[in-house]
Amino acid sequence: MHRKRIDRRTMLKGVAVKGAGAVTIGLPLLEEMTASSAMAAEQADVPVRAFNVFFGLGIPAPLQKEGFDGVLEPLKPLSKKLLIMRGVDQLRADEKGINAHYDGATAAFTAEPPDGEAKAGGASIDQVIRRNHYRDGMPAGMVPTLVAGTFFRRSRIGRYVHSYNADGTVAATMQEKPRDLFERVFGTIGAVDEDPDKRRARLKRSVLDTVVDQYKFYTGANSPLGSTSKARIAEHLDRIREFEQRAYAMKGKVAGAPPLPPRSQLLHGGSADPGGEGIDITLQELSSEWRLMADLYALAIQTDRTRFGALTFLAAGERIRLKGDYEYDGRTVFQFDDEGQHKKSGSAGCSHEWWHQFNENKKNEALRAHAHLKMREIAYFLSRLDTEDSVDANGKTILENSLITISTESGDGRHNDVKRELSGVFHAISGAGGRFKTGRILDVGAEGVDVYNTMLTAMGCNDRLGPQKRDARAVDAIRA
Amino acid sequence: MRHLVQFRILLTLASLAFVAPVALAVERVERGLLVRYDFSEDDGQTIADRSNVGKPLNLVIDRSSRVRRSGGALVVESSSSIASTQPATKIIAAVKKSNAISVEAWLKPANRSQSGPARIVSISSNTSNRNLTLGQDKDFYDVRLRATGSDHNGLPSTSSPKRSLQTKLTHVVFTRDAGGKTTVYLDGKRVAGKTVKGNFRNWDDRQRLFLANEATKDRPWLGELHLVALYDRALSDKDVRQNFAAGSRAGRAPPSADNVVKADTLLFDRHVAPLFAKHCLECHDAAIKKGELDLSHKTSAVAGGESGKVVVPGKASQSLLWELVSSDDMPKDRPPLSPEEKDSLRTWIDSGAAWPVEAIDPAVYLNEGHAGEVWLQRLTVSEYIATVRSAVGVDIANEARQILPPDLRADGFNNTAYNLNIDLKHVEAYNKLAEIIVSRMDILEFAGRFSKSRKLSTDDTMRDHVAAMGKWLLRGPLDSNEINKYSGIATTVASAGGDFKEAIGYIVQAMLQSPRFVYRIEYQHGDGTSRLVDDYELASRMSYILWGAPPDEDLLRAAERGELTDRNVVEAQVKRMLKDPRTIERSEEFVSQWLNLGRLANLRPNAKKFPNWNAQLAADMQQETLAYFKEVVWTRNRPLSDLLNTQVTFATPPLARHYGLKPTGNNTDNKIARYDLTKVPSRGGLLTQASVLTIGGDEASMVARGLFVLNDLLRGTINAPPPCVNTVPPPTKTGLTQRGIAESRIADNKCGVCHTRFEPLAFGLEKFDGIGAYHDKDEHGNTLRDDGEVLFPGTAKPVAYQTSNELMDLLATSERVQQSLTWKVTQFALGRPLVAADAATVAKIHQTAQQAGGTYSDLITAIVMSDLVQRARTEATE
Repeated sequence: MHRKRIDRRTMLKGVAVKGAGAVTIGLPLLEEMTASSAMAAEQADVPVRAFNVFFGLGIPAPLQKEGFDGVLEPLKPLSKKLLIMRGVDQLRADEKGINAHYDGATAAFTAEPPDGEAKAGGASIDQVIRRNHYRDGMPAGMVPTLVAGTFFRRSRIGRYVHSYNADGTVAATMQEKPRDLFERVFGTIGAVDEDPDKRRARLKRSVLDTVVDQYKFYTGANSPLGSTSKARIAEHLDRIREFEQRAYAMKGKVAGAPPLPPRSQLLHGGSADPGGEGIDITLQELSSEWRLMADLYALAIQTDRTRFGALTFLAAGERIRLKGDYEYDGRTVFQFDDEGQHKKSGSAGCSHEWWHQFNENKKNEALRAHAHLKMREIAYFLSRLDTEDSVDANGKTILENSLITISTESGDGRHNDVKRELSGVFHAISGAGGRFKTGRILDVGAEGVDVYNTMLTAMGCNDRLGPQKRDARAVDAIRA
Repeated sequence: MRHLVQFRILLTLASLAFVAPVALAVERVERGLLVRYDFSEDDGQTIADRSNVGKPLNLVIDRSSRVRRSGGALVVESSSSIASTQPATKIIAAVKKSNAISVEAWLKPANRSQSGPARIVSISSNTSNRNLTLGQDKDFYDVRLRATGSDHNGLPSTSSPKRSLQTKLTHVVFTRDAGGKTTVYLDGKRVAGKTVKGNFRNWDDRQRLFLANEATKDRPWLGELHLVALYDRALSDKDVRQNFAAGSRAGRAPPSADNVVKADTLLFDRHVAPLFAKHCLECHDAAIKKGELDLSHKTSAVAGGESGKVVVPGKASQSLLWELVSSDDMPKDRPPLSPEEKDSLRTWIDSGAAWPVEAIDPAVYLNEGHAGEVWLQRLTVSEYIATVRSAVGVDIANEARQILPPDLRADGFNNTAYNLNIDLKHVEAYNKLAEIIVSRMDILEFAGRFSKSRKLSTDDTMRDHVAAMGKWLLRGPLDSNEINKYSGIATTVASAGGDFKEAIGYIVQAMLQSPRFVYRIEYQHGDGTSRLVDDYELASRMSYILWGAPPDEDLLRAAERGELTDRNVVEAQVKRMLKDPRTIERSEEFVSQWLNLGRLANLRPNAKKFPNWNAQLAADMQQETLAYFKEVVWTRNRPLSDLLNTQVTFATPPLARHYGLKPTGNNTDNKIARYDLTKVPSRGGLLTQASVLTIGGDEASMVARGLFVLNDLLRGTINAPPPCVNTVPPPTKTGLTQRGIAESRIADNKCGVCHTRFEPLAFGLEKFDGIGAYHDKDEHGNTLRDDGEVLFPGTAKPVAYQTSNELMDLLATSERVQQSLTWKVTQFALGRPLVAADAATVAKIHQTAQQAGGTYSDLITAIVMSDLVQRARTEATE
């Protein structure tokens, strides 16, 4: 990897909300424009924070039993600051006739089955905590909820968005490119025609991205056009870029913000999910972009630009054909070559299939390598919140002070047994300022809804997830 | 009205400047062709793709010792591998888009025992993964085809009946249409059929094309291959019969002796005739004939001038023409020929000085440079408005005309492709208009036209929804990348908390700004000549030519079914489309642009000289011409040339008074009324209408009016005046009329050479003042005249006329004028100036249209049926 890390040292002090005077350029950023400034007088030295971290496809329950000797190895350096929970059951999220990847992914952090194709069944943990602790809105200028991720499969939002309002709608727009995330956190976006509806402006920008892709195709190597026509389209493309710059370019950025990251080289939007057939990608490409996203997201937290949200590393049921040598801790773990190893192309050649082929009596070598990689990358993000730059006023790190919930979609990859698939779903949480027992692996053997509600109780929330009429069972074993 | 149609047709037939191309004896149906191998190579390891479609997908024989060439066939004698070195991308991409395919082969199996099936034509990667295989299984043919309804090995397959395979030369065709229906034909007859459901979305992009074996080299086929072709559509029964009738050797390159002749013709057409037109004919044509030399006609050029023969075929060094040109003594008082031009001239003389035409028409060579390049066409403002109206039912005319930059005029029209450039304002406008359009649409009703589903999920129905909607909005099927990208908007909207309606709205906004909406995109690669357009390209060409609007459902359906390969169907569609009111609107746009009627709104004649002029009168003049055009062309359905002399007009009361006519109807409502001009010989025809007469400016310039007649009616050519000449027309005065001024210029030794060609053309209009009012005397009391003479380009002697209405009759019955109208309408239809390479086809169009009656409808039909529309120019692929 040849990328320089972005960290808080590169930022000027005072970017955080409390030093409002340090924000030299106004921040007309989405929801915060209407957010209350009631919290401006907030005195707490350590703010309440909650983030959901999702990774796709999951870790089969039998592999979780191996603890840090198996695929969880990359979490070991952070083990004292994490509580790993095994035996969490999301079976109640199963919806007949709907793909379990989707059911399981939507249940992560909500414990509810999805409500149709574009909504979750209820709020996610982070949003419940946000509403309980910041009832009058977030401090002015702060990004109320930050949702981002590196992912490709996208047929339904439950696969990759993991922060939801109480009505099941997404809590914030997904930022899937480093630049978008950067601009969302550190930039001021120019609106079109002074339209106050910034969401609309963002969607229109996304539409323009698709339009740009079309023009790029007609100027590219596979264009059906001859040279003169191609030149005309290239001219059109230049004018769109000019328009894009004028209409949507970041007008300024927060004082001391890091440099604008480079344009993403990965596939995004519809191209990233060609009809569920999967995409080719190298380990280098995947890891580089994810780590840039992780850096930026961590920086947003470190600089107190956000306190709630979700980060996704690969979508539920993700379909990629990964290639590259995977090394960890000085040793070669595996040589990724999904297509070659499956000896199949298209969707059948994707890493996804290793999960469907999981057999606890076999080596599951490729699956193990992929799961190990996921843990390495999740650990990368968590470690960014555990550095010297991440020390809060109480002397502890953000990782220690925040509630960071890590989860996934399934405890097994075999669709033929939903019970097994949605049981034993991997979970891990950070200590949230000493509220939870860290430094251990617990077999909680409980329903996700009970685990989540116990977490909410510990976080001082009155609101609960799941149906009202239900015999709740507190999972006190997780509480400190 | 003068009924001289029959006489005109005879003239037409007699005087066409160019001979139509030699008709092909046998024609194969090749629309939708992707690759064609005719095995005509004498030796070597490469089998050339002779489709002239896109980048050639040539094949390489791995061991040439195992095959031999025999009479234009490739005989595979033992297991061999004949394969493309690259994936068969152009085939795969095209059929994924069309969901239809045809495989055609002329072959002779070596035996009836090979099986496997033995691979004859295959796009595959191994024995169990294939997109397509035409194979032999002992005594029958077997076709495996991958689709979402079959497996990755293309099973279940479609087979010909048992014992249907014979060891004789056989025409084998397999087709699969977009609906899934498959058919096997042997020697033109259907022998089997079934259904392969689904689409080709799951085709593997990386597979190569193989002949006579599998990729793994373990399924060899032995026998003779005479022809193999693949298409991106299902050939119809008729197509298959026609290709069977054409035989196994149809469509091959002509013998080499023909090529030599062709090379000579090309040298003359492309280099020599243009340089004569550009440098020589100004003085050495039939009319001026300086030094008694006329280089515009074959016989006179060969005969030479007062110094004798100027060209000695085969010997440039002994040719006077070469001597004078190479020494720069000629052209006189004009820039010398470039080294390249001189080189062409010398080569032409040295190689025998062939004259493939009887006469050189300089007008043919007027447009080169930009005009000769292959430009894609952006929708003009009016086409954009019509396209939006047709595609989504929204009238965006007011906003579009307000915020889209106007299309600028080039080469006489506003739809000239090379000039339809793009500015930031266009991009801003397309973006804004897309938003306005969507805000006015009933999105759910619109989306419901393509699918009942209202699901956002791209795993469920959104991709199909986008594909169906895109096919309509973008005038043809989308490929999988396009479907991915537009579907991606749905997921983006969903992840921002949006719903189905919002997602469709944004997808439509994206499509409305996409290149396939804003431009008319066609495939432009090839060998630098031309190729048959595909059905969707043809449908768009037809609709924009006839309507200036996109194909309607009927036409698009015909394209989808592959019916536009049938010329009868195309003609029937044109006939249907001609009845649509949009055809009339489009024709009015033609006349409006041709005569540049829009300029009337900007005219500001001298108020003292023309106190009656006002904006309303200018608008009335424009209205007059449009109403007159509609009357002649549509109400009376008369030949286009009748526009020059039909004795009727349409005027508002102020315009009628301006013309000296007694206004009819209510004077106060200013409505336009019809006036019979049978008894008003001074008026009648376009040239007597104020909209055209104002071309002469306040001084009623003979130069400007004459040039209009020369350029726009007679298709004459004239060089620009020398730089030192003051071109401001001198004013009239007592004793000096415009004619007097013109005559003095014509008499001038230097000016006269050119001015004699066009100023007399305007003599018949002298009685009309700068804004078209009729007078017998000018403001100085000079008596005005309307007699004169016309020198038709290409002819030696002028034709005299006594009155302006005689001039109108002369023009209306002139073959040259009729040809010019054909050229103008054809140029407008194609959206580009015509070049020398088009001349033969335009001549054929003209002949066909005149034989049919010479009306606008006849002409448009002939244009659509011509190679200028049925074929697309290509740019040579490197």
